[in-house]
Amino acid sequence: MSLASTETMRAGPSMLARLFARQELALLLCLILVIAFFSFTAENFFSVRNMTNVLGQASLALTAGIGCAIVFMSGEVDISIGSLLATIALPLIIIMNDTNSLLLGVGGALLFGLIIGVVNGYLTAYAGINSLIVTLGTMFIMRGGVYLYTGQRAIPADAALDSFIALSDGRLFNVVPYSAVIAIVLLAAFAYMMRHRPFGRQIYAVGGNPEVARLAGYDVRRVKFICFIISAMLATVAGIILAARVGSAQHTAGLNFEFQVVAATVLGGVSLAGGIGSLTGMALGVLILQFLSNGLRGLGLPTEWQLVITGMIIIAAVAFDEAKRRRIIGG
Amino acid sequence: MSVDFLHPGEGAAVDTSVPALEMRGIDKRFPGVVALDNVDLTLEPGKIHALMGENGAGKSTLIKIMAGVYGKDAGTIRMRGRELDIKSPRDSLKEGIKVVFQEIALISEFTVAENIFLEGYPTGKGGSIDWRKIRADSAALFNRIGFNVDPAARTGSLPVSQQQMVEIARALAHEARVVVMDEPTSSLTPNEISLLFTVIRRLAALGIAVLYVSHKLDEVFEIADTVTVLRDGRHVSTRPIGDHTNDTLIQDMIGRRIESLFPRKRGAPGSKVALSVQGLSTAKKLKDVSFEAHAGEVLGFFGLMGAGRTELAKAVVGFDPITSGTISVDGHRLLPHDTHTGVRLGIGLLTEDRKSEGLMGELPVYQNASLASLGAFARMGFIDKAGERKAVQDYVDRFRIKTPSLFQEIKNLSGGNQQKVLISRWLMRGLNVIVVDEPTRGIDVGAKSEIFALIDRLAGEGLAVVMMTSEMPELLGLSDRVAVMCEGRLTAIMSRDDATQEKILNAAIG
Repeated sequence: MSLASTETMRAGPSMLARLFARQELALLLCLILVIAFFSFTAENFFSVRNMTNVLGQASLALTAGIGCAIVFMSGEVDISIGSLLATIALPLIIIMNDTNSLLLGVGGALLFGLIIGVVNGYLTAYAGINSLIVTLGTMFIMRGGVYLYTGQRAIPADAALDSFIALSDGRLFNVVPYSAVIAIVLLAAFAYMMRHRPFGRQIYAVGGNPEVARLAGYDVRRVKFICFIISAMLATVAGIILAARVGSAQHTAGLNFEFQVVAATVLGGVSLAGGIGSLTGMALGVLILQFLSNGLRGLGLPTEWQLVITGMIIIAAVAFDEAKRRRIIGG
Repeated sequence: MSVDFLHPGEGAAVDTSVPALEMRGIDKRFPGVVALDNVDLTLEPGKIHALMGENGAGKSTLIKIMAGVYGKDAGTIRMRGRELDIKSPRDSLKEGIKVVFQEIALISEFTVAENIFLEGYPTGKGGSIDWRKIRADSAALFNRIGFNVDPAARTGSLPVSQQQMVEIARALAHEARVVVMDEPTSSLTPNEISLLFTVIRRLAALGIAVLYVSHKLDEVFEIADTVTVLRDGRHVSTRPIGDHTNDTLIQDMIGRRIESLFPRKRGAPGSKVALSVQGLSTAKKLKDVSFEAHAGEVLGFFGLMGAGRTELAKAVVGFDPITSGTISVDGHRLLPHDTHTGVRLGIGLLTEDRKSEGLMGELPVYQNASLASLGAFARMGFIDKAGERKAVQDYVDRFRIKTPSLFQEIKNLSGGNQQKVLISRWLMRGLNVIVVDEPTRGIDVGAKSEIFALIDRLAGEGLAVVMMTSEMPELLGLSDRVAVMCEGRLTAIMSRDDATQEKILNAAIG
């Protein structure tokens, strides 16, 4: 039906070469074009410092995008991730301030993320409520909760824990930000899962055709349930990185973040209808939008224009994909 | 003792004295319909058992219960004497019951090899998928069967016949005790069918119990050891194939049913041509179909699954595009793919699929009835609600539609009453020709006769009724003339008096 997937198409890594010549390649070309364009037009764009900075900025969307894409592939959506980003900073910062332990703080945040994942997953997969509605609801509830708790003031992390600070501005070999390293490791691990673990194939099957998946003996509800937990946990990781970066819990943290992630995921060829797409595509989508935004800023274009251009690119990309798909079906 | 088709040497000898699968007293009800009533079925290891019956006889329901798609309302299922508790397809698969469904059940985005091992991917060390084994085993499987399918191809890109082969191969990829095939040959060529039969015989030789569901008599006589016939959700007979002739099988399938279900009140049909169809063809199904329907006549179209009845119905009313041919309603040419003009000329479709193509389930009865004639109730662009309701109430009274009120959501009505509301929708609009597709599908026996009476009345009031049906009694009970279709062609057209079940079935088999 679509060229949008390589992971779905691969029967194994040996076909990698043959099948890479698909959507990912087009996205990679786009990314190179974007980087090349701004390298010539924008000052200070093509430098190791700027490139690694962009990578660091992209790490939040890359990390949370894994979860977003996996939920899409299972045939559902999760738009609660932006609010979750802000919310988990509360247990993280509060526990850290009380105990002076990063580990306990992170543990508390992950536990909170797990609970949200269970709630989203249960209401969608087992109670049968539309996932857009469920996660829209939890998005509002969490955002409102953060406003109420913080009184719209930032709650700073008292103790300057070295490890917490390192999370924000530390760099591996003094080059690659740790946040980007975390994102890349997670990306590799989950891409491997989608391709080579039975559970990854189950997600594609459930999203591709839930009836067929059920007939093949899959527990469709359990698969979707777990996808929501994965999504919430990864958004939590992104939230921890964000909290480290700003050094506090803030009520406006992650505002509209979910839509940036959805935009990048869709641009990356992951179908909202489920069953189609790859994490590689999602990652390329994130990078294209991030470099675009960075480059436009380098050209001195105001943020307003970045929004307009991003919107047009997304519609154009999906329309192009759709046209390609139709021609293939028709012919 | 299960048997692995790929590695047959590894299976232990099969004890053939105990039934492989025994279903006793199976009941299944759907809202308003009894689908299965106290049905028994026993499958012996190493034997090929055919399951036959008309559409709606309950074959598919029985298979779906076996496969864990539906739960049963009563009865027991035993495997080799042990009672099974099948709650989901997973439970059924675990017991080695492999079903090849009639509808293709494959993930179209996956490769053929991935689909074959969908039920469980072989994993290597650490639990990662062993792609090499999947590719090798898929290729070996196709080799063993003799099917020529590329395991690396994307499934959705294959023609339906190849997808059907993938389905069949998939059932054999894992250890099986019982293999069920539901109309597996519907899109295979004769050559592929003979390969399939070789495979089925080999399965039986390995001690697997095979259930072969079909309505094709010649296939059943060729392959089956035993035949069970269902009719109207009940068990009719189970006999060795040697005890049957063509005639006895058809008789078991159709039965002798009461003609009194079809009280004929209308007079003889008129001679005015209300609908004329010439040389109609569509891209996918219909080939050069020509016929005329007269005012006051019921013209019944019969055909087996896939014959093209629904396709004809949808093309004739202007719903589907056509590639060639002409359609005239009341002497006016109807351009294809234009239901708007169709309705204006007075031709409407009573769809086979009420739920998705007929009803606005959440809307009240009166709005469902007036849907096609809102223009008639418009006063200065506003709907005259009182007039609308009065008109609908009129039909509710005339057709004795059982509904608590006009404001009841139509989804809460029984199938028979929903059908009456949909017929009202068209009569209110004023039609010359009504095309009814499986008018009694999903309607229980009692309400069926009311629908028959209504169809008789429509013809009596001068409409031309074109009726698509897969039910022989309905066809013979209502029609003035009988047309038979096979694989998109019109193979026979005869008057009711000339029509016999044998003639019709012969024409339907082609």
